[in-house]
Amino acid sequence: MLLYFLDFVVFVGIFAIVALSLNLEFGFAGLANFGKVAFVLIGAYTYALLSQIGVPFYGCLIAGALISAIFGLLISLPALRLRADYLAISVLAFGEILRLIVKSETWIAEGDWGITVSPAISLTGAPPRIDALVNIGLVYSCLFICFLVVQLLTNSPYGRVMRAIREDEVAAEALGKDRAKYKAQALMLGSAMAGVAGGLYAQYLQCVLPGMFMPMITFTVWIMVLLGGPANNWGALLGAALVELFDRGANMAKDYLALPIDPSNLQYILFGALIIFVLLYRPQGLLKESPIKTKALEAVKYGRGAVKNKGS
Amino acid sequence: MEEALLRIREVSKHFGGVYAVNGVSLDVKQGGIWGLVGPNGSGKTTLFNTVLGLYKPDHGDIYFNDNCINNLLPHQIYALGLVNSFQLPRLFLQMSVLDNMLVAARGHQGDKLFNSLFLRKGWQEQEKGLIEEALEILELVELDKWAFSLAGELSGGQRKLLEVARGLMAKPALLLLDEPAAGINPVLGKSIFQKLKDLSRNGTTFFIVEHRLEILFEFASWVYVMDKGKMVTAGQPQAIIDNPAFYQAYLGEE
Amino acid sequence: MSVNWAQVLFNSAITGSLYLIGAVGLTLTYGLSNFPNFAHAEFVTLGAFIGYFVAEQLGLGLPLALIVAFLVTGLVGFLCYRGIFQPLAKRGATIIHLMVASIALGFILRYSIGAAWTWKPLYFTATWSAFDIGPLRVTGLWLWLIFAAVALAVIMHLVLVKTKIGKAIRATSSNPELALASGINIDRVIWITWFVGAGLAAVAGIFRAADTQIWPMTGWDIILPIFAVAILGGIGNFYGAIAAAFIIGLAENIGVVGLIALGLSTTYRIGIAFVILIITLIVKPEGLAMLFRRA
Repeated sequence: MLLYFLDFVVFVGIFAIVALSLNLEFGFAGLANFGKVAFVLIGAYTYALLSQIGVPFYGCLIAGALISAIFGLLISLPALRLRADYLAISVLAFGEILRLIVKSETWIAEGDWGITVSPAISLTGAPPRIDALVNIGLVYSCLFICFLVVQLLTNSPYGRVMRAIREDEVAAEALGKDRAKYKAQALMLGSAMAGVAGGLYAQYLQCVLPGMFMPMITFTVWIMVLLGGPANNWGALLGAALVELFDRGANMAKDYLALPIDPSNLQYILFGALIIFVLLYRPQGLLKESPIKTKALEAVKYGRGAVKNKGS
Repeated sequence: MEEALLRIREVSKHFGGVYAVNGVSLDVKQGGIWGLVGPNGSGKTTLFNTVLGLYKPDHGDIYFNDNCINNLLPHQIYALGLVNSFQLPRLFLQMSVLDNMLVAARGHQGDKLFNSLFLRKGWQEQEKGLIEEALEILELVELDKWAFSLAGELSGGQRKLLEVARGLMAKPALLLLDEPAAGINPVLGKSIFQKLKDLSRNGTTFFIVEHRLEILFEFASWVYVMDKGKMVTAGQPQAIIDNPAFYQAYLGEE
Repeated sequence: MSVNWAQVLFNSAITGSLYLIGAVGLTLTYGLSNFPNFAHAEFVTLGAFIGYFVAEQLGLGLPLALIVAFLVTGLVGFLCYRGIFQPLAKRGATIIHLMVASIALGFILRYSIGAAWTWKPLYFTATWSAFDIGPLRVTGLWLWLIFAAVALAVIMHLVLVKTKIGKAIRATSSNPELALASGINIDRVIWITWFVGAGLAAVAGIFRAADTQIWPMTGWDIILPIFAVAILGGIGNFYGAIAAAFIIGLAENIGVVGLIALGLSTTYRIGIAFVILIITLIVKPEGLAMLFRRA
């Protein structure tokens, strides 16, 4: 039971990193990346292959992030010119092509049979509980760093420009902001984070298989971001936790409740209904967009009594 | 005579065969308020959009400070000192009024990725200064009390004012304003034009499209008149009023 | 290696026919409602299962199954639009929101189907034995599929050109404001398009399932090529879709020959449509629309 809980915690951590990355790309920069899983895949396979030849785990993670970021940069080129839905479909198709490639080109990583990946930090002879705790430490350290980075970025003039580009890129460009650069940077950063998550995923499950990178993962992360609240980093964390909880809860219900519908079906039916409900009645998600907080702004807002927040 | 700040030479822009702007030439020299008038559909906004880089001219050349800007992207044109204010406000609605202003700021060190993560102290100071500047400008357009409200909460007239304020925040050498007084009560409109006139004495040049001719003519030093994509006449406001071509342009269709 | 090109051509017709029937609904609704409906995959799947229900569980045979599946799925499609997408659009949902909603709807439909029937593959009992016509190896099913696609093309063309509703669809496709101003009931046009589109998807589902298997992923298995057809043909453009369906059918089947010749895995077959999709979106997002009169 404890092990199940620890496993849940690890997965929340890994998904939270991916959710933060999508939140950066979509919530803050307005880029509809429907191929998120592709970048997780790239990070995972990079990690797997490098760790096989003996590169230490931090090297594998960094490499995974870098290579993913390069692909993110590649995607940013069409991302500039394509309408949101065209970009979404293209990246989705791109992700599927990548999955097909690793599936069919067995020389890469044995295709559908996969290859084993050794855990980042393995304490020989340790009980699974300890291994899980080590993973939690590793994953949450990475999550902490990612969270810090996105919080700093989005609460800065850089984040301000990014949001402006999201709101009206023509106006932002006319005010001197190079939207190509900002979008490219958003995608590179987001992809790098997804790449790290991929590496963590691979070493935790101790294998990489094409079946681990289905479009369903992209959709799940989208739901995490939309539910938690786009453009709110705490929202992304909240969304990740809630969605994983829902997923696990439904699976556990199978063992404890007798329902007329098989819970694994019911879970997704409810999921879908939940998202539609959120989109209809609370499209801003659970947590609203977090306003930009810089020291200077805060000083003015609360320091100078003369300037008060005046609503309508 | 100094060289013109903005030189437009024989510029044409068409959409699917229809010429919105047809062989227009004009000069805007340093200092003062310059006007551009003409009936609806005469091509004024298209001309502005072409100058600011949203459209590429199909024919002709545009020079700003002797740089040919035909092929530059809007952000590069901004960097040269030419800033635009849109006719239909293009505000960042989910951001506060103050944030809208701060995006317009020129040379904010915090805009850079590396700086926003690692050299935070540096731009925090700069940001303080920029906020002061922004609040001053907002006071000019009577929006200072709304500094922390979302731009989306502003009324139509207020949005227009913010659009103008943002343009001013960008510290342009030349600011293009497309109907800044539209939807604003005449008293406020006049006071804004007065402030623009004051600013124009300190180095900022304004090129303004305006339908409220009585306000524009009071403050402009030179006015261009367009009709159906072409330049019809130009001159000092008093001369324009006495020019039959001007009335022809406005009343001709009816 | 010796290639039976006649067979490749014939196979292209089969693939193209399936994709055309599946893509008509998608391209028309995408064009009218302005968002990619990913739940279209589930309309295909639903059709297959309703077909199974009628043909196998009720034992009423395939022809009746096709008709019932068309009607029921059409109704479901209409209800989905009316109950979910139309309200969302009214509340100002963006393309991305609508797209995500369609994915969520897909979950609901797919897993409801899985719950109502099963996730284990099911099969139609009707068997289609292969026989030879000249150099071609054919089955009755394939011939029916091609016939259905041709019939669809002809009937749709006649409807679009000769009937009032057809003209209304074309008008609304090319210029909704003008259509509204000329007194066309746009809402009704959209509803009918969603109904017919979903119904046709169901037909495609039955043909696909009859040739392979019936399972809740039936639609998802072919949804990306169907998207490729819709986009290559020009979103909202029926005639473009006809050309695109057969181009992609050809590309896939000739591609298979190429893959084998190059010693690559034939799993890449499905990737051919993906590549066409991406290239079209990047290079010429309007697809073949310029070559074909609207709708």
